[in-house]
Amino acid sequence: MCMADTFLKLDHVKKYFGGVKALKGVSLEVKCGEIHCLAGENGCGKSTLIKVISGAHNATEGEIYIEGKRIDKLTPIDSIRMGIQVIYQDFAVFPNLSVAENIAMNHALMTGAKKMKWKEARELALHAMEQIGAHMDPDILVERLSVANKQMVAICRAIINDAKLLILDEPTTALTANEVEKLNIIIRNLKEKGMAIVIVNHKLDEIYRIADRLTILRNGENVATGMIEEFDRARFVKCLTGHEVADDIYRPEYFEEEIVKVENLTKKGAFENVNFTLRKGDVLGITGLLGSGRGEIGDALFGLAPAETGTITLNGKKIEIRSVQDAMKYKIGYVPEDRLTQGLFMDRSICQNTVAASIGRYMEKTGLDHKKMKEVTWQWIKTIGCAASSSEAMMRTLSGGNAQKMVIAKWLNTEPSLLILNGPTVGVDVGSKADIHTILHELAKKGIGIMIISDDLNELIHNCNKLIIMKNGQTSGIIETGDMSEAELTGLLNSGM
Amino acid sequence: MEKSKKFFKEADKNTLALFGIALLIFALMGIFAPGSFLGIANLQGMCIQFPEYGILALGMMLAMISGGIDLSLVGIANFSSIIGSIVMIKTGGSGTSILLGIGAALIVGALCGTFNGFLIGYLRIPAMLVTLCGLQLYTGLGLAVTKGPALTGLPESYSLLANGAFFGIPIALLIFIMVFLIVAYILRATVYGQHVLYMGTNDIASKYSGIHNLKITITTYLIGGMLGAVSGILMASHYNSAKADYGSSYTLLTLLIVVLGGTAPEGGKGKVAGVAMAVIVLQLVSSAFNILRVNSFVKTFVWGLLLLAIMIITKVVESKKKE
Amino acid sequence: MNKKVKQILTTNEIIVVYIIIALCILIGIVNPVFLGMSTAITLSRAMLITLIFAICEMVVIISGGIDVSFPAVACIAMYSTIRFVIAFGIESPIFAYGMVALIGLAFGALNAYLIAKIKLPPLIATLGVSSVANGATLAFLGTKEISNIPEKMDALSKVFLISYTNSQGITYQLTALILIPVSMIIVAYYVLKYTMLGRGIYAIGGDKNAARIAGFNVTRIQFIVYMSSGLFAGIGGLTYTILMRQASPQSLMGSEMMVIAAVVVGGTRITGGHGTVIGTILGVLLIAIVQNNLIMLGIPTHFQTFVVGLIIVIGTSITSLRAKKIANSAKV
Repeated sequence: MCMADTFLKLDHVKKYFGGVKALKGVSLEVKCGEIHCLAGENGCGKSTLIKVISGAHNATEGEIYIEGKRIDKLTPIDSIRMGIQVIYQDFAVFPNLSVAENIAMNHALMTGAKKMKWKEARELALHAMEQIGAHMDPDILVERLSVANKQMVAICRAIINDAKLLILDEPTTALTANEVEKLNIIIRNLKEKGMAIVIVNHKLDEIYRIADRLTILRNGENVATGMIEEFDRARFVKCLTGHEVADDIYRPEYFEEEIVKVENLTKKGAFENVNFTLRKGDVLGITGLLGSGRGEIGDALFGLAPAETGTITLNGKKIEIRSVQDAMKYKIGYVPEDRLTQGLFMDRSICQNTVAASIGRYMEKTGLDHKKMKEVTWQWIKTIGCAASSSEAMMRTLSGGNAQKMVIAKWLNTEPSLLILNGPTVGVDVGSKADIHTILHELAKKGIGIMIISDDLNELIHNCNKLIIMKNGQTSGIIETGDMSEAELTGLLNSGM
Repeated sequence: MEKSKKFFKEADKNTLALFGIALLIFALMGIFAPGSFLGIANLQGMCIQFPEYGILALGMMLAMISGGIDLSLVGIANFSSIIGSIVMIKTGGSGTSILLGIGAALIVGALCGTFNGFLIGYLRIPAMLVTLCGLQLYTGLGLAVTKGPALTGLPESYSLLANGAFFGIPIALLIFIMVFLIVAYILRATVYGQHVLYMGTNDIASKYSGIHNLKITITTYLIGGMLGAVSGILMASHYNSAKADYGSSYTLLTLLIVVLGGTAPEGGKGKVAGVAMAVIVLQLVSSAFNILRVNSFVKTFVWGLLLLAIMIITKVVESKKKE
Repeated sequence: MNKKVKQILTTNEIIVVYIIIALCILIGIVNPVFLGMSTAITLSRAMLITLIFAICEMVVIISGGIDVSFPAVACIAMYSTIRFVIAFGIESPIFAYGMVALIGLAFGALNAYLIAKIKLPPLIATLGVSSVANGATLAFLGTKEISNIPEKMDALSKVFLISYTNSQGITYQLTALILIPVSMIIVAYYVLKYTMLGRGIYAIGGDKNAARIAGFNVTRIQFIVYMSSGLFAGIGGLTYTILMRQASPQSLMGSEMMVIAAVVVGGTRITGGHGTVIGTILGVLLIAIVQNNLIMLGIPTHFQTFVVGLIIVIGTSITSLRAKKIANSAKV
């Protein structure tokens, strides 16, 4: 496999797109037989860096060495020939082809084969699966595989191409806890065989469990590199964000008023017997690993995938939620997990995004009052602190943090009784993150029910006074956060409860 | 002055360009063939023709805004006009029976549209496939009912609808203007109109914003079906008969108009004014061809070229913008 | 193993086979003569042209596109060739086939350019090309039907592979032109299944971006797909003319519906990436049986369009629902 001690070395690599400096100078060294984690917030240049290594982008400046040799110009084919394999977040597998064909196809293309040899492909696939300890029917179509198995297909495909460096781009985002564990075993196994591995991730606890070394990127520069032991949480966060860990903790005074009461809420295969009460002032957090049912509770309360049994009481009234329309009727708002596809209309104006869920309110006798919509939007832009020049600007022009504020404004404009936020600050810069948290605290104090579904433990500890931990569809019941530390919460998450 | 400035600022460039082309054709034809082109007969002739496909184009535009396409409109137009004609003939051909017939045609159009919308929205079959099949299905139904030949014997007074005039203005033109205003109002000033734009832009985000996608899809194709019926009523009145394969060239023509009018085939974008302008431009070109005695088949050729040229230009401009 | 048998028994192809068998039994009960050699020959002839177009359309749809321009391309290639050979007194069928192939290829390249390079939606691009080709045929080449096909070409229609005379003394003959679709089927089957080009066609239909990352030349594959579609459209057009023994500039217009229907009924997913040669043959067969035997089943001819439309709606609904079911089913 890997012949030299250091497989890949980048020396002050810079990449400019016109005037935009995506990489301002990154130095990185990846050794054979090590697992190197690459962490950084959204927009730090991680994806550009991967594209430079895979040959998709040419570096503007700087030097690249592979196995000690200086490479002047790296093309995608060169990169693959030298043993660099990237597994993208969407895996780039073919849903309509069989497992065997998916695994064998790149190899056939690499060798310039003109014919498709089915028997060979099948053997190659079985061999690759054996190597990493995966078990799949080689004849099954990939569209029928789970996300984790699709990833296995992508890994198999990479290793049969004599990969010496395997780059995994956020490999755990869509995996359940068990699947992450399995993936880690496979990755360690490949490392034992001498392969160099780069994992892009920004979840500290996952990085601790797998990484040998860690490089943190910020604003297109590597701000810290070192053995994993050298990083504690505070240093990690500081390097990642450039700020100290914030210490303000939201712990509201006690109110009697019940806003939401959920009893025995059950949806088979997703969650069972969920019970909680949300009082005025409360910010309720729901957490758990992926596949634990945390997201499904939000989906059920918003009517996307309604619960089968159980009762929901909202402001003292029993309600039934069978569809999104029901949820809207009872003034439940939902800030979805995937802002780009689920939350926003990127090619519409900020105004149209803001009124998307409440357009019926602007119906006058003669039709919709577009002028009023613009006024209201402008007011929201000011109250919520969104950096936008006009209500007519396209949504596309806003940064992640400002866009997320407008998703929240969209729901606030419906005057919600309950607002559910799934991953409210994913991909949001630090400043906006704090703003959003302040907004949520104020809403809670006003008597709007706030639920945060998140896997960002730090966010939960600081912003929720009550927590529910989900595990395999079961709930822990309500936990008062009090002065719980993040380590305690991590312990709870991974324990048997 | 302020207002007109604002008007030009808000009207998109595409519509303005079309307006310019229309003026240019008027000017050129006014110079070269003033007698025949600007004559009352030609102007009236134009006004009888374009409402038929202009109204279909509005249906196509709605479908495209919603992120789909409706290739079955001509089939719906013919089938509903056939049913309407049968009702008219069976009930005796009086004034009320004409109204009954029109009502029947509108109902049939709405039903066909609902069927399309159901298959697209509920069974989630691609709109292109559903409406391509729908064209075959509705044309087939029309053929099955008429057994092939044109259905004649429609009441005399019925033909006034397309061929008559009201104070010198063709009634067909008045109908077109009315339909045009209604569709413009629906898109601009109703909740449905905004919802369909949202859905066409991003149907997942619209679901997550509490918009009932299935309802919007069905409504869109239902309105499309009714617009098809209106066009069918005009065609039947124009030819004073109903047939399963009238206006078979209109599918391509409406697609051309809609794209020419600045509607995005990927959905979420479309302007009624642009479509109306495109209808007028195409009718002017078509009339000019007739007067210049150009072989009518050249039109098909030119329509195709125009469609491709417009699409290519938009794509090239778009990619330039992105850079 | 049992699971695999069950899987095979519920594939799209097998479902079409069930329907065909059921139809044959039904027609056979009404008219016992149906189940015989004569029907086989009649159906083969009826399927000949549709098969040529359907194989190409299937390949285009698998690659994630659609081509509605082939009838117009077939007409312009065939009609201009016939007028050319008559005008210059060229007798050779090989020349004629070469010429239609070239013209078809040129239009295919135009489609490919618009779709692969300019990135127009395939439906709109091919609709436009269809209109251009059809308009050009009628406007510049004329509208007359030509029946004085050069003799050597005409003679091709009288070459038969099989001759069969039934008890009533009616002779059924199978034209040798059937070898065109048959050889196309064999080539298409081999290319799609056993070459990297074929797998590339499936790959770009499944996920264009993944195909690009994997190292396929997506543009090149799209050019090959649309150009071969154009090429065989031309060949199909000329073959049709020879079979019918006259050339009409409009004769094939409108056949795109039927062809797309046959392909989709045969289990090809309109969204791309899925489809088999066998399925397409079965789809064409099913529609040919329905079209040719409606009268026998007591359905008047003017119901034909409707019945075919209905079959397409049901067929496409079934394929779409099956795809939806797979998408929603539990993952392994």
